[in-house]
Amino acid sequence: MKLLVPVKRVVDYNVKVRVKADGTGVETANVKMSMNPFDEIGVEEAVRLKEKGVATEIVAVSCGPAACAEQIRTALAMGADRGILVEHDGVLEPLAVAKLLKALVAKESPDLVILGKQAIDDDMNATGQMLAALLGWAQGTYASKIEAADGGLLVTREVDGGLERIQLKLPAIVTTDLRLNEPRYASLPNIMKARKKPIENVKPADLGVDVTPRLTVLKVAEPPTRQAGKKVASVAELVDKLRNEAKVI
Amino acid sequence: MAANEEHRMLQDLVAKFVDRELIPLEPAVLKREANGGKLGLSDEERAPLLAKCKELGLWGLDSPEEFGGANLPVEALALVNEELGRTAVPFIFPPDSPNLHMMMQVASPFQKERYLEPYARGEALSCIAISEPGAGGDPAGMTTRAVPDGDDWVINGRKIWVSNVPQSDFIILMARTGEGKRQEGVTAFIVEKGAPGFIIEREIQMIGGRRTYELVFEDLRVPARQVLGQVGQGYAPMQLRLNVRRIEMAAKLIGMSRRAMQMMIEHVKQRVTFGQKLADRQAIQWWIAEGATKMHACRLMTHNAARTLDAGGDVRGEASMIKVYSTEMAQEILDNAMQAFGAMGMTKELPLQVMANQVRVMRIYEGPTEVHRMSLARRILKEGI
Ligand SMILES: Cc1cc2nc3c(=O)[nH]c(=O)nc-3n(C[C@H](O)[C@H](O)[C@H](O)COP(=O)(O)OP(=O)(O)OC[C@H]3O[C@@H](n4cnc5c(N)ncnc54)[C@H](O)[C@@H]3O)c2cc1C
Ligand SMILES: Cc1cc2nc3c(=O)[nH]c(=O)nc-3n(C[C@H](O)[C@H](O)[C@H](O)COP(=O)(O)OP(=O)(O)OC[C@H]3O[C@@H](n4cnc5c(N)ncnc54)[C@H](O)[C@@H]3O)c2cc1C
Repeated sequence: MKLLVPVKRVVDYNVKVRVKADGTGVETANVKMSMNPFDEIGVEEAVRLKEKGVATEIVAVSCGPAACAEQIRTALAMGADRGILVEHDGVLEPLAVAKLLKALVAKESPDLVILGKQAIDDDMNATGQMLAALLGWAQGTYASKIEAADGGLLVTREVDGGLERIQLKLPAIVTTDLRLNEPRYASLPNIMKARKKPIENVKPADLGVDVTPRLTVLKVAEPPTRQAGKKVASVAELVDKLRNEAKVI
Repeated sequence: MAANEEHRMLQDLVAKFVDRELIPLEPAVLKREANGGKLGLSDEERAPLLAKCKELGLWGLDSPEEFGGANLPVEALALVNEELGRTAVPFIFPPDSPNLHMMMQVASPFQKERYLEPYARGEALSCIAISEPGAGGDPAGMTTRAVPDGDDWVINGRKIWVSNVPQSDFIILMARTGEGKRQEGVTAFIVEKGAPGFIIEREIQMIGGRRTYELVFEDLRVPARQVLGQVGQGYAPMQLRLNVRRIEMAAKLIGMSRRAMQMMIEHVKQRVTFGQKLADRQAIQWWIAEGATKMHACRLMTHNAARTLDAGGDVRGEASMIKVYSTEMAQEILDNAMQAFGAMGMTKELPLQVMANQVRVMRIYEGPTEVHRMSLARRILKEGI
């Protein structure tokens, strides 16, 4: 089974994100960048499938600026076999990424694409589902367990109110949830070995994909700081304030 | 892949190791020390860590590939040490072999096989005895003497402040063999544990969780094949690793400072006195601004020296600057952090007091501050700025 694992370069989860002074987005210059944690879980799952003998090859893909090679390298150090960088400097919306991935799927013919359920920067939670729709493939989103079964996959999904188990036919799309696994450390020898693994560089145009944004961001702003609460003396006063000041009842 | 990309990945790996494996052990380590125990890991705590290090390849980071090491450049070692500095849990990636490079430079084939190889593999430990009661910051003033007697040397004298003695399988002992007044005439000897006439006189408890030993040598007989390097020329190889050690120390001090600053920042944002957050007080803000500025300067100096050293340059002057600057920076930052925590900063529940004492000790070993300032000034007075 061949796996395609997209990995996104995002602001590290430890960094407190700041909005750019001009309100066009968040500050990413001089900020520690890392692999999206849900993608790290995806890479880990892929490597485990390979260790179990289920998967044979893992291709890590990142779409974005040249610096994304760093995240591909991390995936290679964790155990992916080779990388593809789809280099593009501007904004990439989920649909554009899904189209790029669709083009790569056509080129690479993987049996399974494992994505993160969302990226921690824009929290879109869309790319995996869009890719499944574009390809017409089965999808198992929010996976907390993946098992090979009956020539396909048995995926346990985290849904509201519990767990749902679904059987997928291959080829398929899976998106990872937090509890799927705990990603390993990339060991030092594997970091060194990653240097020798190939990364192919392509441009959206090479894949015939138009990635022009379809949405316009008007303004990015910090969430308003929370106002201090008010203490009320009695239930009567509370009800009065809810009715007459807050006007919620 | 660019070297710095690889180094960033290594730093990430070590950061995770520190966060997931070492910092969780900190409360237990601090508690034992607070109750009068030694500062350190128990064997049960250490064993799984060493296994993890093997698994992750965090082993022999500075030793050459022929010994199964990673032979990392000094710049990468600096990143590793910065991460390790963030915890008060004393831990060194194995093997603990600070004398390795000195020995590699001068060991004979006999010494290579008998001492160096087991040492490089982490199967043997060693230490180095230079300081004496009458000669520390100025080690060239040492008086421990070795005289030839047939095929042997006979050594008499006294050493003090030597770390890691009881666990060492052999020690490197520096002794005077010639008449030369200062650095000439100092020879290095390998002395095995338990050799007759090699006496561990006493253990000395130091602050910062350290222990050192006073050693006495009474008619200690050492065969000529245990002379390390050339007779009368022990001084130069002894100096060999000092620059790297000072860069590693500075990096560790940056790590300690980072932890202290992070703890202080978190605290002052929520601590209210006189109706206002400590973070809103100028006195506290200046600590934060000064601390961050000094850390930035220190990191730039340290990485610059590391890169110069990696490229084969001379960093003796820079190493002195860094040794002085990093220890004084960390002392100030730790002290301010402890102050900002009020009485909590005076407890043995926080790692700050252990770190502060470790920093205090670092101002003495690897060359005391004043001696570094003196040699730096002399160098500049001679060579210009
Ligand atoms: C924790 C620890 C571990 C150690 N481990 C080892 C070890 O493993 N092996 C070993 O051999 N040694 C070891 N040492 C000893 C260490 O190297 C010496 O303590 C150090 O070199 C200083 O020597 P000293 O203590 O004799 O102080 P001194 O040389 O007496 O200096 C005392 C003070 O005078 C100052 N001073 C000295 N000369 C001048 C000058 N010209 N101008 C102005 N001020 C001056 C110094 O800066 C210092 O503040 C260790 C020390 C410590 C604290
Ligand atoms: C060994 C010891 C024994 C003690 N024994 C007793 C005892 O017997 N009984 C008892 O009641 N208490 C005792 N204390 C508590 C002691 O009185 C308090 O620790 C002290 O008043 C400081 O309060 P705090 O620890 O809450 O620090 P905080 O008040 O939180 O102060 C923290 C830091 O912020 C600084 N700071 C505070 N306000 C400002 C400001 N406006 N501008 C700038 N900086 C500011 C302080 O100077 C300090 O550095 C003891 C403390 C110690 C260390």
